Amino acid sequence: MSKDSQMRAAINQKLIEMGERERLKELLRAKLVECGWKDQMKGHCKDVIREKGLEHVTVEDLEAEITPKGRALVPDSVKKELLQRIRAFLAQHSTL
Amino acid sequence: MSPAGCPHVNGFKVDNWRQNLRVIYQCFVWSGSVETRKRKAKSCICHLCGAHLNRLHSCLNCVFFGCFAKKHIHEHAKNKRHNLVSNWSLIRYRRGDRVVNSIDLLYGGIYCFLCQDYIYDKDMEQIAKEEQRKAWKLQGVGEKYSTWEPTKREMELLRHNPKRRKITSNCTIGLRGLINLGNTCFMNCIVQALTHTPLLRDFFLSDRHKCEMQSNSCLVCEMSQLFQEFYSGHRSPHIPFRLLHLVWTHARHLAGYEQQDAHEFLIAALDVLHRHCKGDDNGKKSNNPNNCNCIIDQIFTGGLQSDVTCQVCHGVSTTIDPFWDISLDLPGSSTPFWPLSPGGDGSTLNGESHLTGATTLTDCLRRFTRPEHLGSGAKIKCSGCHSYQESTKQLTMKKLPIVACFHLKRFEHSAKLRRKITTYVSFPLELDMTPFMASSKESRMNGQYQQSIDVFNNDNKYSLFAVVNHQGTLESGHYTTFIRQHKDQWFKCDDAIITKASIKDVLDSEGYLLFYHKQFLEYE
Repeated sequence: MSKDSQMRAAINQKLIEMGERERLKELLRAKLVECGWKDQMKGHCKDVIREKGLEHVTVEDLEAEITPKGRALVPDSVKKELLQRIRAFLAQHSTL
Repeated sequence: MSPAGCPHVNGFKVDNWRQNLRVIYQCFVWSGSVETRKRKAKSCICHLCGAHLNRLHSCLNCVFFGCFAKKHIHEHAKNKRHNLVSNWSLIRYRRGDRVVNSIDLLYGGIYCFLCQDYIYDKDMEQIAKEEQRKAWKLQGVGEKYSTWEPTKREMELLRHNPKRRKITSNCTIGLRGLINLGNTCFMNCIVQALTHTPLLRDFFLSDRHKCEMQSNSCLVCEMSQLFQEFYSGHRSPHIPFRLLHLVWTHARHLAGYEQQDAHEFLIAALDVLHRHCKGDDNGKKSNNPNNCNCIIDQIFTGGLQSDVTCQVCHGVSTTIDPFWDISLDLPGSSTPFWPLSPGGDGSTLNGESHLTGATTLTDCLRRFTRPEHLGSGAKIKCSGCHSYQESTKQLTMKKLPIVACFHLKRFEHSAKLRRKITTYVSFPLELDMTPFMASSKESRMNGQYQQSIDVFNNDNKYSLFAVVNHQGTLESGHYTTFIRQHKDQWFKCDDAIITKASIKDVLDSEGYLLFYHKQFLEYE
């Protein structure tokens, strides 16, 4: 594992242990609903399902179609805020 | 993707599968406690490549975590035949079984390799939901919003009753006239106020009353019926003969065809409803018989604090009494209404008009909560001085009810005269009860004179939603009610006739009973 992914794993561990990951998840969830991202994604999903047909569509199909869209549509402000939170958390628990 | 689950999952559902599944959820998906979080942090990585991203899945039959995106778990499913003995004693292995299912560690979804899709098994979903709730509770997150999922019975009911009603901003559902059965406007006006009390409406429309009375004379059941009538969509006026009969049965002093006092009816009705609500406190046996947990108490009961201060030793004796309404004296009555300087605390807070020098509701409340010197003829035995001393008494609000009802004492029944006081009292649409709280009084006494209005404290803010008015004299009069429908629409209910009213109509009216609703509700 590269140094980078080692660092990532360590940060992730810390986040989970302190329960911060759950809190960040909730924050992100709320932000994405607020800015309308969730509704946009829901709309895309419905489009995909309509295309592929309800009986034949699988989670794989949906995942393949909407993941790139989803990642692209997250507003910068949300990314900024999450990043700020994580930085603040790391600053607090600087033993990493 | 069929909603009926998949047949392959039955291979997993043997022996102690429920407990095993719960353990997986508790430890690796919804980790609530500190220990499980630590364990999750350490062990939730792919056994093949060590990464923790890439949609980690856990094998349902053994301890194996693998990336979904990188297909590591797919390899595991294909290759391993299950002759691994797990060092995790809670999970048993099945000889000769193929691993066909795995669980997504981020969201708890179950993936079946044979069906090549996520499957939704009712029993497993049930367990997943319970574990998620438990974890949230441990983390102190509490109950989160989850969409309504109809039960089988509910689906049946929906199918048998296909008529749907859409509530738009100008629809009149919930509004219905009431026929006057002979001077029964005193009852009709209160019924209008009660059927438009939001929490009460929600309680009855969601069928929360479980009747424990044997006979047919439960007033709460009748109330429930009444709500059904009001929300049925019928526009013809309703004839409340059953209600009237029940009122006569349970509150004999109100029986007969004479005009009665609407305020008396309100108190009598609340009392009977409270008594008949016995079975509805969700089985929580209240230790204090005076403090039951029925819907009436939850909505209407407040606590009034009475402080008696001994003038000699300054010792304070405090009692708190429950109340359903606040009866306010008016200027012009035989009890002196002390003139208060305009612009004192309270009146500017509530934005009432002091232009014409009219008395306001807050004036009345200030008078109600002022310290009153009990004269030498009414000495109280002081436990500090052990003797009878002169004292002052002051009333303040200890606990505010969700619905506060103010009764302006317009009917004077003293020994000499019986008359109606028609002084106009101006009342606001929005009311802040903070200055009249026991806690405010304490901070004033502790020297914090400038009670800075805490704009973020929303606990004591109320909104007007119903006004009962009396027109006429003591001998012959008529009651009507203004009620609020949706946010800013008011209607006047005059027995069988409902007409649209303006906010000005409401605020210009005399006012006899004023119903205010807390603006912000909180969970206990």
